[in-house]
Amino acid sequence: MRMQMRSQWSIAAALVAVAICAAGFNGSNPARAAEMVTLNLYISGDTNIFDLWKKALLPAFTKRYPQYKANMVELLHGNGSDGIYDKILAAKRAARTVDVDLWETEPGFLDQGITDGLWVKLSEKLVPNIAKVPVHTLEAADYYGLPYRGSSVVIGYNSQFVKNPPSTFDDLVAWIKANPGKFTYCDPNTCGSGQAFVTAAIYRYTSPDKFASKAYDVKEEAAWGPGWKLLKDLQPAMYNNGFHPNGNVAVLQLLAQQNIWMASVWSDMGLDWYSRGQLPKTMKFMQITPPLMGDDSRVMVPAGSAHLEGALTLINWLLTPEAQTMIIDVVAGYPGIDWKYMPESVRQKFKDVAKPFAPWPNPKYLADIKRLWHEQVVGGAP
Amino acid sequence: MGLALVLPPRLVLIFLIILPAITAVVETLRPPGGSGFALTNYAHILGNRILRSDIRFSIVVTVVSVAVTFSLSYPLALYLRFNTGRLPALLAVLFTIPLFVPVVIASFAMITFLVNHGMVSTILYRLGIERFPALVYNATGIVVTEVWTTIPFAVLILGAGLQAIDDALIDSARDVGAGALRTFVSIILPLNATPTLITLTLLFIGIFGSFTIPYLVGGNAPQMLGVTMTNYLTQYLRRTESVTIAVIAFIIAAAVGAIYVASVGRRERQNL
Amino acid sequence: MSLSAAPAAAGGAPWYWAIGGLRRALGLGAFLALAAFILGPLLTLLVWAFAGAWLFPNLLPEFSLKWWYYVLGNADVDKAIRMSFLSAPIATLFSAVICIPAAYAFARLEFPGRRVLLLSFLCANAFPKIGLYVSIATLFYHLNLMDTFAGVVLIQVVNTILFMIWIPTGTFRGINRNLEEAARDVGAGPLRTFFHITLPIAVPGLIVAALFAFLAAFDEAQGTLIVGTPNHITMPVMMYTLVLSYAQPVGAVFSVLLSLPSLVFLLLAQRYLRAGYLAAGYSL
Repeated sequence: MRMQMRSQWSIAAALVAVAICAAGFNGSNPARAAEMVTLNLYISGDTNIFDLWKKALLPAFTKRYPQYKANMVELLHGNGSDGIYDKILAAKRAARTVDVDLWETEPGFLDQGITDGLWVKLSEKLVPNIAKVPVHTLEAADYYGLPYRGSSVVIGYNSQFVKNPPSTFDDLVAWIKANPGKFTYCDPNTCGSGQAFVTAAIYRYTSPDKFASKAYDVKEEAAWGPGWKLLKDLQPAMYNNGFHPNGNVAVLQLLAQQNIWMASVWSDMGLDWYSRGQLPKTMKFMQITPPLMGDDSRVMVPAGSAHLEGALTLINWLLTPEAQTMIIDVVAGYPGIDWKYMPESVRQKFKDVAKPFAPWPNPKYLADIKRLWHEQVVGGAP
Repeated sequence: MGLALVLPPRLVLIFLIILPAITAVVETLRPPGGSGFALTNYAHILGNRILRSDIRFSIVVTVVSVAVTFSLSYPLALYLRFNTGRLPALLAVLFTIPLFVPVVIASFAMITFLVNHGMVSTILYRLGIERFPALVYNATGIVVTEVWTTIPFAVLILGAGLQAIDDALIDSARDVGAGALRTFVSIILPLNATPTLITLTLLFIGIFGSFTIPYLVGGNAPQMLGVTMTNYLTQYLRRTESVTIAVIAFIIAAAVGAIYVASVGRRERQNL
Repeated sequence: MSLSAAPAAAGGAPWYWAIGGLRRALGLGAFLALAAFILGPLLTLLVWAFAGAWLFPNLLPEFSLKWWYYVLGNADVDKAIRMSFLSAPIATLFSAVICIPAAYAFARLEFPGRRVLLLSFLCANAFPKIGLYVSIATLFYHLNLMDTFAGVVLIQVVNTILFMIWIPTGTFRGINRNLEEAARDVGAGPLRTFFHITLPIAVPGLIVAALFAFLAAFDEAQGTLIVGTPNHITMPVMMYTLVLSYAQPVGAVFSVLLSLPSLVFLLLAQRYLRAGYLAAGYSL
């Protein structure tokens, strides 16, 4: 899958190209219309994301910009990401260009790369469509990573049995108690949707931002006490007297088999299953207030990219409503741009889930949440 | 010459089993943030109510699984020893099947089979039985799956032991009028004692230390120690606690293992 | 040599035991119950592999092959298959090369500490495997063997050693010494005797050992999960991900794929199992 031809562009030429792009940029590409340029994309993720790029985004992009070809390298679940990072770093140290033009990967590499000065700092000048992206998501990565799509944990429910779905977290808790055995969430060790529900209970009594930054202080975890109590009280009302299956899929399976009527699920997984006929036709999804956690997927452009202009063209195109609609259609993801820029029909279809999401706790807190959940919530009577 | 030949696997054994085990034990004897030796880590683990409950749970589930496997396997082994024909031949193929199924698959298959609204539950539902007990994602599921995967092993070893019992002994017992039960208790059981002990101890150690089955088929809490120590290592990012739990598991298994070694040693001496 | 030979009940046995028909019916009933228990889960999984969608309370799913295309078209599956079929044979071969000579030594040669050493191999069985893997992981971290091909192979070797010592030792022991002695008497050296007399007779037992060792290496999941992720995934480790993160039919399809080597060996090994080689090894 490696590209055969290597380009010989120097950084200077790339910067000049960028300047030209920035000046006359709205999709056309006068300066390099004659040469075919092959862009190298490295995408880390799951098969559905690879399909999104290979089958939807890239064909549409190359059709819109025929002077570009795209070569995509798949890193399933991030396998091989270390090697890519090292490659980019080594190229920077040697003051050479690197044949990585775009990289979608885990946040850890984004952060590390910022420290090492590896990424292009994005701005409206370089990427005009960035104006459509909500500012706080750009600021979260200091404008180095572009959040082009997202996914959120939402509440999935079977409307055949649930006539009046709850709209707030407190309503949800009340519903669970009123309908014992019909709700569950997966073990937070094994899935994000379970972590989202558990964290929502914790966030009910304390501020999410305290735990989302890099700081870590074990003493802060005392604030989680009320959350644990809430979850423990809910245990008898959970499916099977407090059983939490392993993995996102197990919960979807329970919904599909009508063992439960409502659960916290990832929006893209839920909608994907629904579209494949794996869930009953009466399934619906919605976001509660305050919203459950979610995640942005970001792409970075290495500053030493050999085809900087092409890379910036690509990510600018990624932010068009046309590309963003594909994200919704193909992987049921959230758009990276603000919902208000999406076509009306799309906004109507997703009005129940189209809300912002809560931030994720940092890895150290998350590890403790998992451990304490096992001790405080499912660990038996104190 | 003999020593030279056994050296390569011996080295592998030392490098891959003994060395890590010793390193692990040494690491756990160092108190957190300090130097020297102390049992702080062990006190920490054993003082944790949840972990104590996990230890108890592991022992109970293991004992029950061993008991069930044993009570199913011995009659099966006896039946195969003393019967010939088409049915026994079929049975002989049947019981070996789980031996060839990877444990991951066995666990997954058992879940699809026994979960509520799974195969068995759906069949019963169609027959009018709507209520179905929770058979997976709890201790029951673990026991059933462990039994499923360990039956062939138990039948093979018990069967091998039974094979070694001379037919003449059985015949002479019957000739003096002993019934089936009496023959079993007085002749077969004692002669098959060593393989029986080997089976029981190996079953215990294998099930006690299992991970895949409790991970996929077990509930949230309490958990078998295999799952607990893996969680501490990979999810909670607490390596020292993880290794301490591993050493505690070693010690419990070693107590049972001592019985195994003693009985094998006795048999070795018989063979040499 | 059946205990049921005499129609009249032997002293002490209940009267209904004497009725051959009832006894056969009970035997058949027990057989069916066992068959349902052992085959039921496997058949359920097999049906899931061909299920397009299967919602309760349908007894059978809508059949479809779409998940097969989904799984076989997955690049990650390809990688896992290659990793499994590369590491397991290497582990088995390595294990065979170092263990078979040792097995011969245990069976035939006298040397100090022989009993203790043999016992020590069997003792390794006395450790809960998962505890071992956690300890091995700690060691591998220090040696930079985590997430390497060598690390995965070594973990698999751990599982094979016991089969590769036990069964060949039993096999070599079972060979009549007289044959070897006769060869020596006519002047053949020890190596020649080994390769021309001992080894050919031992081959079936060695094959059984190799089969079980290969399966043990191939099916190893727990240790590889800890030591091999994220870049060195074998098929069994992929199963964890598939079971937890993909639709049910995907895990079912992959189970069928993963079971294929086992099925092949089941058929091959049936002959040898009946010949008692495995039992000979276990009866050590």
